[in-house]
Amino acid sequence: MESVTFTLNGVPRTVAVEPGLMLLDVLRDVLHLTGTKRGCDNGTCGACTVVVNGKAVKSCTFPLAKADGAEITTIEGLAQGEHLHPVQQALVDAGAIQCGFCTPGIVMDLYALFETQPDAPQQKIDNVLNRHLCRCTGYETIAEAAHLAQERIKETK
Amino acid sequence: MHPFDYYKPKDFDEAFAMLTQPGKKVIPLAGSTDIIPMVRDERWLPDAVVDIKGLPGLRDIKLVDSGPLCCAGQTAQCLYIGAAARMNEIAHSELVQQYASVLAQAAQEVGHEQVRNRATLGGNMGTASPAGDTLSALLVLEADVLVKGKDEERCIPALKFFLGPRKTALQPGEIILGVQVPPLPEGTLGRYLRISRRKGADLAIVGLSVMAIPAEGGYQWRIGLGAVAPTPIRVPEAETILATGHDEATVEKAIQATLAAARPIDDIRATAAYRREMVVQLTRRALQDIIAQIP
Repeated sequence: MESVTFTLNGVPRTVAVEPGLMLLDVLRDVLHLTGTKRGCDNGTCGACTVVVNGKAVKSCTFPLAKADGAEITTIEGLAQGEHLHPVQQALVDAGAIQCGFCTPGIVMDLYALFETQPDAPQQKIDNVLNRHLCRCTGYETIAEAAHLAQERIKETK
Repeated sequence: MHPFDYYKPKDFDEAFAMLTQPGKKVIPLAGSTDIIPMVRDERWLPDAVVDIKGLPGLRDIKLVDSGPLCCAGQTAQCLYIGAAARMNEIAHSELVQQYASVLAQAAQEVGHEQVRNRATLGGNMGTASPAGDTLSALLVLEADVLVKGKDEERCIPALKFFLGPRKTALQPGEIILGVQVPPLPEGTLGRYLRISRRKGADLAIVGLSVMAIPAEGGYQWRIGLGAVAPTPIRVPEAETILATGHDEATVEKAIQATLAAARPIDDIRATAAYRREMVVQLTRRALQDIIAQIP
């Protein structure tokens, strides 16, 4: 067992776990933050995407030990009380959610993109959608939501 | 998942002590985007991993003077890229774009954004998949690989570094420090192209690196292929043909020579026949792209 300390959604956390555990295992099974989804579990589908030190990463292949000292944001960290983050609200407004399993990963990826690049060009937004496997929506409504989110974020910046 | 110990050394001495524990299978780990899926699939069963990502200097991208080991005898400065430089850092680096454009393009094709934020050049090299995007780029750049063991550093030309699928010239207990790219004349053109089933997440079905280097009376060409042989390969036959010119007929001959050099296999991603067809298409596309840029 070893202890790893990081900031999770703004709150300092220390967990004592087996060093071979992945960040995803710890988020879901130790900290019970189940918003981050386990999809393929091998770094392909994008469902487990979280933001570490401002960058989108796949938590299923992220050894927890690497999180020491990091600042981590998960889907649970975006809403302010009942006030959703613009990316989340846009997905709701565009009807871009069906089963919802891929949604947290997409939200975190778009969040990371618009935090650093609110003016991100179309290509970058397309690339975000390309790296998340969605079996329900056909992506059209997610693309709509991404644009809606970008418009709203730009208005406030 | 198979359990393993995780070590994070503070310095090289500690790293080598951890890497060379007798009777233990210990592997160096950087971005962990390859190793973790491999362990999960039980294709690798390490007793421990040593996270080398934080070791000093391993993330540098900078110009260096010619050294006693790598880049020897060069009069101009070489581009040094540390083994733990992330794919996104390489793809976005102005230095890499300027001095090794083909490598910046290849790094941009590795995995997805979330993977490129963590995956490293040294990891791509150490994994030594025949399909590794950056490997054919290193071959056409004729980069040198600087490696370090407990007692000494040595330099291995990239052309001699990749020995087979997942086999490299790295000795047990050695780690890759970085690569050094020799200087190229102004006006050098480079292009990396690849075909894959999905853009991003999947490995290349065929990867192709091409460079045209201004030389007396025309251009000297370098062609590298990935995913069509047990290692990334160069295609000297096609390079010799292109040295005579790049009119349409010569280009077609070079494409055929490139095809002849490919020895692809059938696998989960594509048949050998499809790979051969894609070698033809990619080579034509890359050569035409570069020829269109020749002033």
